[in-house]
Amino acid sequence: MTETMTARLLAFVIAAALLAAGCAPPDHRGQFFGQIEPPQGQVLRYISGSEPETLDPQMSTGQPEARLAIALYEGLVEYHPKTMEAIPAVAERWTIDEDAQEFVFFLRRNAKFSNGDPITARDFVYGFRRGLRPALASRVAYLAYDIKYAEAFNNGSAFVRDPGTGRFLLASEAPQTSPDGSQTVAAGVAAPPDEEALFKTELGRGGEDAAPDTPFHKFIHAPERLVVPADAKDREKALKADAKLAALVAGKEFVPVTEEHIGVEAVDDHTLRVTLRQPAPFFLGLLPHQFFRAIHEKTVERFGVNWTKPSNIVSSGTHMLFEHKPYNQVVVVKNPQYWDAAAVRLERIVFYPLEDNTTMMNLYKAGDVDATYNHTVPASWLKSGVRHVKDYMDAPENVSEFYAINTTKPPMNDVRVRKAFNMAVDKAALADYRVVVKPNYTLVPTIFHKYPRPKGDQFDPERAKQLLAEAGYGGADGKFDPKKFPSSEVELNYNTNESNRQIAEFIQAQWKQNLGVTIALRNTEWKTFLPMRSRLEYKGFARSGWVGDYMDPYTYLSLYIVKEGGANGTGWWDAKYVKMLEDANRETDELKRLTMLAKAEEYMLEFQPMLTLVVPATSWMKKPYVKGMYPNPGTLHAWKFVYIEHDRAKWDQGTPDMTTDTLAD
Amino acid sequence: MFRFIVRRLLVTVPMVLVVISLTWALIRLAPGNFYEGERKLPASIEKNIRAKYGLDQPVYVQYGHVMGNILRLDFGNSLRYENETVNEILRRTVPVSAAIGVSAYLLALLVGVTMGTVAALKQNSKLDYAAMGLSMLGISVPNFVLGPILVLVFSLSLYWLPPARWGGFPSWNLLLPVLTLSAVYMAYIARLTRAGMLEVLRSDYIRTARAKGLTERQVVMRHALRGGLLPVVSFTGPALAILITGTVVVERIFAMPGLGNYFINANLNRDEPLILGIVAFASILVLVFNLLVDIAYGIIDPRIRY
Repeated sequence: MTETMTARLLAFVIAAALLAAGCAPPDHRGQFFGQIEPPQGQVLRYISGSEPETLDPQMSTGQPEARLAIALYEGLVEYHPKTMEAIPAVAERWTIDEDAQEFVFFLRRNAKFSNGDPITARDFVYGFRRGLRPALASRVAYLAYDIKYAEAFNNGSAFVRDPGTGRFLLASEAPQTSPDGSQTVAAGVAAPPDEEALFKTELGRGGEDAAPDTPFHKFIHAPERLVVPADAKDREKALKADAKLAALVAGKEFVPVTEEHIGVEAVDDHTLRVTLRQPAPFFLGLLPHQFFRAIHEKTVERFGVNWTKPSNIVSSGTHMLFEHKPYNQVVVVKNPQYWDAAAVRLERIVFYPLEDNTTMMNLYKAGDVDATYNHTVPASWLKSGVRHVKDYMDAPENVSEFYAINTTKPPMNDVRVRKAFNMAVDKAALADYRVVVKPNYTLVPTIFHKYPRPKGDQFDPERAKQLLAEAGYGGADGKFDPKKFPSSEVELNYNTNESNRQIAEFIQAQWKQNLGVTIALRNTEWKTFLPMRSRLEYKGFARSGWVGDYMDPYTYLSLYIVKEGGANGTGWWDAKYVKMLEDANRETDELKRLTMLAKAEEYMLEFQPMLTLVVPATSWMKKPYVKGMYPNPGTLHAWKFVYIEHDRAKWDQGTPDMTTDTLAD
Repeated sequence: MFRFIVRRLLVTVPMVLVVISLTWALIRLAPGNFYEGERKLPASIEKNIRAKYGLDQPVYVQYGHVMGNILRLDFGNSLRYENETVNEILRRTVPVSAAIGVSAYLLALLVGVTMGTVAALKQNSKLDYAAMGLSMLGISVPNFVLGPILVLVFSLSLYWLPPARWGGFPSWNLLLPVLTLSAVYMAYIARLTRAGMLEVLRSDYIRTARAKGLTERQVVMRHALRGGLLPVVSFTGPALAILITGTVVVERIFAMPGLGNYFINANLNRDEPLILGIVAFASILVLVFNLLVDIAYGIIDPRIRY
């Protein structure tokens, strides 16, 4: 069976099922959807998404895995059930130095693995280092790249040492690439910097009293060393491309960067110090990610790839693995060794990995599951009234949906054309059509309340036509002439998916109606679509979306700091923009920093490298007796706070109040 | 007969190897890879992954490696589910798919042959029309329509049967998926049986049997069915292979942890070892069942000799 056929078939399955479902409006006998009989005791049956790739928290990338990892592993910090901001977990408290480059975590003394071993700072050091090992080849290792020398270790780099003096060359000595892309004279060639003086200024920074100074601390706070590829062949290539660098490192020794060089240090058993390569105020928000959660060294080293099998695994979270039947169920039970076991109420969580939305909703309606993950309610069910039942959960999501624009090919290399196409789409109408999503005129979604978001271009078809006329597609009367526009050079590309197709058709209709141009739709199978987009092998527009890694606008704005390929997919890059972001991250005052980020976004939107669309809604369901589970922006739940309420009087009567961060009891 | 079987089995091995090689080439020719997702990976991470899985070696080395392992019947670990070997996945999922598939097969055979025979014996009666009408419906209504309808009626309106999920074998959870899956086969088998029987019932040897004074029951069971079922046999051999290797749609609708789900996802994920493993398994199964069909022909129809 070919894949398009399969995709079509699946689409058809869903469509057919929807048709069937359309005949069955939500159960009007109650205000809830289907059966609402709570399970015996404290058991939660939860649909967690696709079959998890692995239970190894450092090897998985997705939310389905994160939902299990939160039960099985605890990190330094945990997601707040409502806001998803970092709250204490293994770390009782922490200090962050004033330029947000050094984080010191103070670990609680009673944290234990499921086999009774204590969880210490050394376990986190081990975990961070292991995740970055090139041989492990973790796909999410980049999450830790903000840690000093983490990237250098992960990409197999080497320090450069002068064999005569034994001194390591510094990054500042390398020929600098100036913002405009041209190379300037190496800063360090004339006079090597005074290491001692730099050292003192580094140590004079705030936050240093948090933990005692150590030799490693001195090393990691010394000015950043120069790194070049450790592999001789790769190095040769890099040096060939950069004659000045080649001259600088000629005759020098190359010392491979090892995992001991990474900026993470166990000052003592209960103090962990993490040093970053540059200020990153958002770093704390990254740490609840499964990549950074505590893993048990002896188990991992002993069993290798099989360490997460039920017979081998040692976990650190609120629950431990009881059973894993792929494509069927993962069962976890309460971990009696967990430091706060008294507060954990769920005795057992059964995760069902499922893929078909209709099947999920059927199970939910029949009362066989208690809650589902995000985007599980099919669009037509929403329209038929499911969103009005009291157990429907709706909240804006930490996601932005947009179309990347290939800014390197005409006619889309003209910013006026890009802006015109953006202004010619009525996003409010799109949001209405998609029922529960919210229109978005910027790249950053609307969920960050403190962020003074720029306005972005609103729907304005007249202005759009004017812009296109200015771009040279006007007739004799100076007005936009659709016939002059090379519409065959533009396509709307999306990866094969029913809901993507609906959105693409909507946009197509908008352009037809508002501009009079017909843009062709083109769908491509997912894995084929990805390289096409990242290599800019498309013309016009390519569907894109971004799930925030953490709760900060920077997770979106940083998409365009990579020049080529990367997550960019638009071919747009601007030195000033990168500089604006860097400056913002150096700002210590939170509001000032957000304002600077907003300025940067405003600047970026002037170039319109993407067509902004909507902020999706989380759109999922939970039975009223499931408490402590909130429609947070990432649909990731700290299971510690979740429980089954058997007292009907205390059941939820709608979406829990999300305006405060207090947790209901 | 024995020589025939040995010869066929000997041909099977190179045929499976050819199928695997072609599949391997197709996977490699397809754009995309197993590790890339919505977010493009940094070049350094991509390099680490390629090194870990030997993708940085020359293509012929990789091919040799893959084929070498396969000859030792070791397909290696899945790329997507890295702590599971393909063999483990097959061992776990084939019984699930087979439980659904074989149940559906037996049900289809039982009901289909009965319906077809009855229809043929009472040709152009109301019974015949009813049976053939029903089977036309069975062929026309695809399982992805039938499945949800059954769920809607029996699980969500009557709350009699679970709407989905595996509950072991045997269990009530199996009833709806087996019914859904067998409907089409049932219908085909009924029609094939009817056609085959009609032809046979008019043949000389049936007249001879009747002339001998055999009872109608003996005529039908011993003589007519044997010939009448030949088309059914050639249809159900490959059909059984397909049923055992899992049926995507039914496994998805009913969330069954069978091979079909893996097959479809392995392709979407570009999970090379898993695709190769499943393709190898499926092709062996198809070849073996075709062989069984040929052997069955020899047994059922005395005119066929190898």
